[in-house]
Amino acid sequence: MRVIGLSGYQVSMSFQVKYFGMLAEIAGLSDEVWNAADGLTVGQFRAQMLDKYPAMRDKKFKIAVNQKISEDFVLIEIPAEIALLPPFAGG
Amino acid sequence: MEKAHKPKKVFVQGPISPDFVAKSIASHQSKTGIGAHAIFLGQIRADQKEGGAVTGIDYTAYEEMAEQAFHDIREAAFAKFELTCMHIYHSLGLVPTGEISLFVFVSSPHRRAAFEASEYIVEEIKANVPIFGKELVGEAGHVWKENT
Repeated sequence: MRVIGLSGYQVSMSFQVKYFGMLAEIAGLSDEVWNAADGLTVGQFRAQMLDKYPAMRDKKFKIAVNQKISEDFVLIEIPAEIALLPPFAGG
Repeated sequence: MEKAHKPKKVFVQGPISPDFVAKSIASHQSKTGIGAHAIFLGQIRADQKEGGAVTGIDYTAYEEMAEQAFHDIREAAFAKFELTCMHIYHSLGLVPTGEISLFVFVSSPHRRAAFEASEYIVEEIKANVPIFGKELVGEAGHVWKENT
């Protein structure tokens, strides 16, 4: 976490998170606002997510940042829309 | 023959009716450069699951991302195959067993491009478009579908 300013507050950000399919079922909602410290990576976000919703631990899902499926090392920069995508089932 | 392929509406609410498929075919009679159509229809199967038979699939999608993915697939298919035109429709919401949830319709001067493009498009949709399916099972159960 980065700390700036004389008062020592943490830089923070918030972004929209969308849940689909079985993940929406587990979360009990289809979207919410996520507050986090600045400099968050997709992997760190995933860890926070699994802390909040432990039932997602044994589920397969991908994380899209602004509609692009993203690896864990990717830095989340606002404005961002994050989506948790369970396995696809089109057709 | 070159023309821009503008984004098209893919999603339809509920099942795709055989009547809609028939009308789509009829609307191509004026395009006399076409010698071959290939049509793929995905139909909901009554798979047996724990708790009973599948009675339907309730589809949802990450719509903005899915529309973009469909657009990318269209562009790639036009680049890869000699196609005159292409239409893709996919259901959202409930599609009962036995009804149609996917309609891929490609037209070409010749059969080979039509056959190959239809297979390519269906495989791409299954692998790369964020669509989710809740298979309704028996009286009240459900399982989440996963493409393999």
